[in-house]
Amino acid sequence: MSELSQSRTAVAAPRRSSGLFGIDLASPKHANKLGYLLLAPAALLILAILVYPMLLAIDISFHDVKFATLSFGASEYTLANYQKLFSSPDFWNAIRVTGQLLLVVTTISMAVGMGTALLVNQQFRGRSFARMLIALPWAIPEVVAVVTWVWILDASFGVLNWILIKIGLVGGPVSWFSSPGTAFSAVTMVMVWKGYPFISIMILAGLQSIPEEYYQAAKVDGANVFQRFFWVTIPCIAPVLGVTLILTVLWVFRDFSIIYVLTGGGPVGATETLAIMTYEEAFNFFRMGYASSIGVVTLIICAVISAFLVKKTSHAIY
Amino acid sequence: MQKTMIASAALTLLLATTSLAQAETLKFLTWQLTEDTYGPWWEAVIAKFEETHPGDTVEATQIARQDFADTMMTQFAGGSPPDIVHLASFEYQPFAANGWLEDLGPWIEKAGLDLDGWAGQNLCTWEATTRCINLQYFAYIMGVNTALLEEAGLDVPKGWDEFIAAARALTKDVDGDGITDIYGTGLHLASGNNYINDMLNFVLDAGGSWTTPDGKPAFDTPEMVVAIDHWATLIREGLVPADTTGGDARQLFVEGKVAMRIENPGLAGVIETSASEEMKPNLTLVASPFDPPVGGASAIIGIPSEIPDERKQKVWDFIAIATSPEMQELFSEIVGAPAPRPGSVTEAVLASTPEYGLVVEAMEKAAAAGVDRVPVGLETHYNELASIVREEIQRMIIENRTAEDTAAVLQERVSALQ
Repeated sequence: MSELSQSRTAVAAPRRSSGLFGIDLASPKHANKLGYLLLAPAALLILAILVYPMLLAIDISFHDVKFATLSFGASEYTLANYQKLFSSPDFWNAIRVTGQLLLVVTTISMAVGMGTALLVNQQFRGRSFARMLIALPWAIPEVVAVVTWVWILDASFGVLNWILIKIGLVGGPVSWFSSPGTAFSAVTMVMVWKGYPFISIMILAGLQSIPEEYYQAAKVDGANVFQRFFWVTIPCIAPVLGVTLILTVLWVFRDFSIIYVLTGGGPVGATETLAIMTYEEAFNFFRMGYASSIGVVTLIICAVISAFLVKKTSHAIY
Repeated sequence: MQKTMIASAALTLLLATTSLAQAETLKFLTWQLTEDTYGPWWEAVIAKFEETHPGDTVEATQIARQDFADTMMTQFAGGSPPDIVHLASFEYQPFAANGWLEDLGPWIEKAGLDLDGWAGQNLCTWEATTRCINLQYFAYIMGVNTALLEEAGLDVPKGWDEFIAAARALTKDVDGDGITDIYGTGLHLASGNNYINDMLNFVLDAGGSWTTPDGKPAFDTPEMVVAIDHWATLIREGLVPADTTGGDARQLFVEGKVAMRIENPGLAGVIETSASEEMKPNLTLVASPFDPPVGGASAIIGIPSEIPDERKQKVWDFIAIATSPEMQELFSEIVGAPAPRPGSVTEAVLASTPEYGLVVEAMEKAAAAGVDRVPVGLETHYNELASIVREEIQRMIIENRTAEDTAAVLQERVSALQ
């Protein structure tokens, strides 16, 4: 046998390899199998850290238990938690508060985010600094920022009351967390402050992708600034707005730390959202079964809202 | 010679292996490790345990107080509880109710530990079994700013009438800018069970209690109506800073912005460590103006029921050290408050600080009156009780309701818990 033939044999050998479990994954015939194999670790991880706890929570919600364990069907199945939940005024109050917060915070955050994005999309001196300032609240860790707000809004020694009294806007200190209206306003203000930078950054990215020619063409056609905004800017950034809206709605829906640190859900349930109610029932009153039923209902509401928004926003493109 | 060396080496290896096999690390979670008072005491207990159990170690981990119950519950529910169970006295009941705590009766009997007269130990009885040993019992005292009292021409108040008069006189807008600069007193008004702990001062003083001796809610009694009215008066009249936690109120006291603060004996340590040198001479501890003072068990120690027996033995050894006369005397010395074991306050300790006698006296008064912060019959609903009471008092103030109406609503809501 010549050297050449030996070399050919050596090169050909790997091509005849049976591959993993006898399957030649390099073959086009098995290309999809390779894809599944590569996805498997991620899929298993998601099953372990998302799907399993979710199924466990659903299972626990059908048991009348104070403490949960990590096994399915630990006690008798019952609908008691759901019956109690749907007949509880606290639950309907939490739904109402969550809905109000969703509407108010999302609307104001989207408006402020859009306004600031349009502002820093203009050419002016100090634009980079302005962009940094706008993004700053987003960069501060949530609990740190909220604790600072608690100090600012403190009824007795807070700086906001001092400023309001000094400029004569109020006659005496406002107890921000002691009455339902002011507590709701305080929560809304802090959530908007924390949430609008993300919206602003997303919209700014969208604005920068709009070709300048579109605006020039609109100007040539005689479109004024509002017409250009409504007929060029908005349609071009509609996909970005859609994604941002979904993410903002879900953030407001599930946010816990801002409300918990500021008001703990009070006073008299004025800021008690579904997230706060779930935590209170689970970790304060140790009613895991009942808390899980609130979590399951929250999950369903979130899924329905997301599906609705995805459907709506997917059509809002040229 | 060579054979002897090999045999020696083999024996050493065998002993080392055996020792390693038996050596264990006991997990211990606490919220007190970094506290100036309790931290050094726990370190001393751990050192003594490790000294008497060569090879064994205690892995102590600090958990923030506000996260402690959640952390412990998660660990128990996940099947990996800490070996040494340390819990606040008001939060151990759900763990006992769930069967997660070992019955310590046989261990106590075997060790011959005498718990007669052990302060606050009755709280550890759960369904006729002993599920824990009480490690702390204290009663409230009052911190006063004597400079502010003298400036207002007031004596240290005794009883509600003098207390409210002093609070009104001491609440001041010093610079006339419309913002109160000094408050008469400070209360825990934020969420959490310290709300009802602080309120209990006024409940006991008015002759009321959360529940009857047989565990039924007692919110609609005339005494409770008076107590609710007293508590709400302080808030309505702006004699206390709004929305504060007990910690905030304590801090404002050491800064001279709150004139009187009824607190646990830990206030002495806070004055020592946090007050400025100019402020310290003005801050004095006196007896609580209310009778009887609030008192109660504060922290307990126990054994998880689901760990192996040999580990339980080691945890019991740890508990035996913590409850030994030596460590209980050390507790009284380091912590600045009496340990629950009778006779743990030595004459030397009693003479060490002027306020020690005050603390002992308050503790004896509270114990004699059978006072505890955790209400009988509502042990497993303590957090929810605090939440309901706070919510209804808030509603009373916001909607300008009467104390009678609030008491009636509270009676109805709390009765529904049982």
